Amino acid sequence: MDEEPERTKRWEGGYERTWEVLKEDESGSLKATVEDILFQAKRKRVFESHGQVRLGMMRHLFVIIDSSRSMEDQDLKPNRLTSTLKLMEYFVEEYFDQNPISQIGIIATKNKRAEKLTDLAGNPKKHIAALKKAVDSTCVGEPSLYNSLNVAMQTLKHMPAHTSKEILVIFSSLTTCDPANIYELIKTLNGLKIRVSVIGLSAEVRVCTILTRETGGTYNVILDESHFKELLMQHVKPPPASSSSECSLIRMGFPQHVIASMSDQDAKPSFSMSHLDSTGEPVLSLGGFYCPQCRAKYTELPVECKVCGLTLVSAPHLARSFHHLFPLEAFQENSLEEYKGERFCEACQGELKDKSVFTCLACKKVFCVECDLFIHDTLHSCPGCMQTDGRS
Amino acid sequence: MKLNIDGLLVYFPYDYIYPEQYSYMLELKRTLDAKGHGVLEMPSGTGKTISLLSLIVAYQKAYPLEVTKLVYCSRTVPEIEKVVEELRKLMDYYTKQTGAKNDFLALALSSRKNLCIHPEVSSLRFGKEVDGKCHSLTASYIRAQHHSNPSQPVCQFYEEFDSVGRQVPISPGIYNLDDLKDLGRRKGWCPYFLARYAILHANIVVYSYHYLLDPKIADVVSKELAKKSVVVFDEAHNIDNVCIDSMSVNITRRTLDRCQTNVETLQNTISKIKETDAAKLREEYRRLVEGLKEANVARETDIYLSNPVLPDEILQEAVPGSIRTAEHFVGFMKRFLEYLKARLRIHHVVQESAPQFLKDIFEKVCIDRKPLRFCAERLRSLLRTLEIADIADFSAITLISHFATLVSTYSKGFTIIIEPFEDKTPTIANPVLHFSCMDPSIAIKPVFGRFQSVIITSGTLSPLDIYPRILDFRPVTVASFTMTLARTCLCPLIVGRGNDQVAMTSKFETREDFAVIRNYGNLLLEMSAVVPDGIVAFFTSYIYMENIVASWYEQGILENIQRNKLIFIETQDAAETSMALEKYQEACENGRGAILLSVARGKVSEGIDFVHHFGRAVIMFGVPYVYTQSRILKARLEYLREQFQIRENDFLTFDAMRHAAQCVGRVIRGKTDYGLMIFADKVSKLFGKKHANFSLSFNCYFSPQRYARADKRGKLPRWIQEHLTDGSLNLTIDETVQLSKHFLRQMAQPFRQEDQLGLSLLTLEQLQSEDMLQKIAQIAHQA
Repeated sequence: MDEEPERTKRWEGGYERTWEVLKEDESGSLKATVEDILFQAKRKRVFESHGQVRLGMMRHLFVIIDSSRSMEDQDLKPNRLTSTLKLMEYFVEEYFDQNPISQIGIIATKNKRAEKLTDLAGNPKKHIAALKKAVDSTCVGEPSLYNSLNVAMQTLKHMPAHTSKEILVIFSSLTTCDPANIYELIKTLNGLKIRVSVIGLSAEVRVCTILTRETGGTYNVILDESHFKELLMQHVKPPPASSSSECSLIRMGFPQHVIASMSDQDAKPSFSMSHLDSTGEPVLSLGGFYCPQCRAKYTELPVECKVCGLTLVSAPHLARSFHHLFPLEAFQENSLEEYKGERFCEACQGELKDKSVFTCLACKKVFCVECDLFIHDTLHSCPGCMQTDGRS
Repeated sequence: MKLNIDGLLVYFPYDYIYPEQYSYMLELKRTLDAKGHGVLEMPSGTGKTISLLSLIVAYQKAYPLEVTKLVYCSRTVPEIEKVVEELRKLMDYYTKQTGAKNDFLALALSSRKNLCIHPEVSSLRFGKEVDGKCHSLTASYIRAQHHSNPSQPVCQFYEEFDSVGRQVPISPGIYNLDDLKDLGRRKGWCPYFLARYAILHANIVVYSYHYLLDPKIADVVSKELAKKSVVVFDEAHNIDNVCIDSMSVNITRRTLDRCQTNVETLQNTISKIKETDAAKLREEYRRLVEGLKEANVARETDIYLSNPVLPDEILQEAVPGSIRTAEHFVGFMKRFLEYLKARLRIHHVVQESAPQFLKDIFEKVCIDRKPLRFCAERLRSLLRTLEIADIADFSAITLISHFATLVSTYSKGFTIIIEPFEDKTPTIANPVLHFSCMDPSIAIKPVFGRFQSVIITSGTLSPLDIYPRILDFRPVTVASFTMTLARTCLCPLIVGRGNDQVAMTSKFETREDFAVIRNYGNLLLEMSAVVPDGIVAFFTSYIYMENIVASWYEQGILENIQRNKLIFIETQDAAETSMALEKYQEACENGRGAILLSVARGKVSEGIDFVHHFGRAVIMFGVPYVYTQSRILKARLEYLREQFQIRENDFLTFDAMRHAAQCVGRVIRGKTDYGLMIFADKVSKLFGKKHANFSLSFNCYFSPQRYARADKRGKLPRWIQEHLTDGSLNLTIDETVQLSKHFLRQMAQPFRQEDQLGLSLLTLEQLQSEDMLQKIAQIAHQA
């Protein structure tokens, strides 16, 4: 066995060829075009989300994290695994922020096996704790795409038809060790209407291309950490619902938060129902959310009632996912030369330097690319319009 | 779309066109206008075939009297089929656009083995058997016997064709091999003879090189092709070797033994005939006195033997008296055979020229030059007279007679080498007489002489000027086209050192060097971890590959590689290789990933494409020089130097580079494809002109002699060279891995057709714009 030298020092790892980005491109438009293509893709995403399409708001998502040997690679700092888990924590928070009535589950695959880290659940805390714990695990062996997809499928196939069933694979290895023909599994997944998306950490692998194409998911390969984050965040938005998925009314409870003070004689401390399945020490608390149907107590929302199965949410949660239904219209893109007005972005007040500027169709204010993305991805409302609204 | 190529209306069956295709057609048009020959290099996957076909067909339609026929030569049967399919697409487009019914006849021709529909004959496995069997059913005298004796079997398909097929012209259309067979079955005609007959009036003929280059076959099949034909040699980077092979003869002791039996059979048959039918022999004698011209007029099925380019004046002469009677000729052959046997009984290597050989044979056994020259023709006549059905058996004596004719006809361009044993096994006696052709222009000369335009084209013809020199012709256009790309989808890298800074090279002296082998292993190991799906690795020879793989096994490198990818190996066994290939593709398909270890100049390097995921990277371990110790090669090099003033090293480098380019070219099969090309050898001087100064100053320190001529032209095709930057030369393994990772991630980004449009893919409007036409003008690179 030849031993891989420990690569602990940063200078022993990847060469960051920053000078190449700056290099004058004498052969014409070659290198610039790749960036151009990326830029276009960025914009496209903004556009795509703005059609009047039905979105699958109730999502059941399994994230499969490759924890094989290749995750030790240090091209993401400090290594792929740590970097991925960090981003995942952020992703889980964002996910529940944007999709309050959805659930998530995490599966890790290594050593030719798949292991469920957390089951499908709607509580971010548990997932984040599991992710934090996973940082210390070692990365060994090969991943198994087949096994992990199979594990996810076993749970997802029992989910009701009106929910959006998704799997997101974060795949670092370039090889997979499968016990059976994966193309059969892909067919089954397709039949169950499970959408599989893949984010590749190293390069384009054929089987992932097929997998995503067949199941209607997306396949992207990261360029660097920021691109990775960007790609991950794409999955925060709910995907368009497939036309065949059923519509149904869902009963929901909106429990009020009852605050009881210690001075109140009637208040009795009680356990929260969510402690039933957590391994931590049960904590007694006074206040909480009470299920309007069965009066079971919970300390956190959103949650599915353990007793009567009612989905408990708070109104602001639902409201937050509201913008998906009425998205901010895309801004119009013009080249900088054509634009005659003042060369300042309305939002960040920075000088407009990129080759194109973006104009809000309602208030005719102009924005730079970055602000355009920020407004559409995060704010969901145009600051220019708000200003004019305020005045009138 | 309809294009205007320099005043010629060209129908192009696709909605989009690559700029280089347009440029290619311009050059082609120029060549045809000048009625001259051309050498055109354009990378594979850019639609060479359709450009060629569209332009030439348009030319034929516009000037039917100038160009009557297109003869398209390709190398393998699948390639022939591909060409026919493209042609079909083009013709369909014509019909759709003009509304006129297609009046073109185009067909593919292949051997009997691929075309035979006779139930018994077609079930035979080997081409030779099929030919022999077919001949025993269709030869003229067999059919004559059939008339008198109906129990004599004949081929009913041929009979049917012979009685009606010739009168009814085959209806216009596009026929591939299967279409011909279908037609044959429907009408009950023999497809092979139908095709052979139909090529005389077909507008387009697609067949293999050999039908034109191998004098033995060309004489039968292609003799009557019109002078106003345009001949295209596709994938022609190896054309010189094909020419040489078709003119060379190797004689082993086994050949001589079989020849001995042949002679005995002949003798017996002659004496038998003499008793029964002496008149026949007398008749033959009379014919031979009158001259061979008449002997030439025989039915087309009598392809007893072939006739290596006999100069016409020989055919005018009468056969010399000493071999005119059958017995004398057999006696003559016996003597010649004994002489050859004696020559093979040696213990040291002999190399001599043809005149030396003739002198020696005259001194030893009193055989003159003149009768030797007629040997092939005389044997042909004899076999016909004797009515021997199965010509397959007589291959040995045929070979000897060819040798006799060739050696006495050409005093230059050939060499005779007699080796008592093979170099690898010096203890086992296995004498071989190589009569080796050193001048490819001999075989191809009639082609250049006869046809008005000959186009030589391939993805790898660099350096372009060497082909006209070694094939001895004067082209009117010599051009190399590059691939216009919307993204740099190929990434050539030259790895010169391991991480330990030990230079990597497959140079003979350092082959066994442990450090070199380990570095090669590490390179493959590292690449197997970063490249997805398939990797193809090429070694310089089978032996070298075996040594290295064994050594990797001992060092545990193989085990480590197998964690990332499965390993498959090409062997000399064709069945084993195709099995390995199949499994390799399966492993690439389902995500396990695989590495194929193969050999440059092997089957994989020439005929098999690794599209998309089947080949994301190709690694060349070393530079695939030919085995330079071979005497045949040495003789050829010497000849090249004396005759064409081509230096040995220039030729060797050229030859190695075209094979390297051929190997690495396997992975890029189109503009949407992408792949890494890794050359693992420090000899970076070969890879480019503009980097010469860099490598000169850098490498002088190590070995001044080897790099003294570093300023010579880069021998790789331009389309690879232009992607070689200073940053991709002489890398270490680590740097290579970093660059590869970066490249693969870039390439994995979504890439749609719209991104290509206007840059590397044009619509008609874009094509007509002024600045695009200017850009296109730059694509063609006049060598």
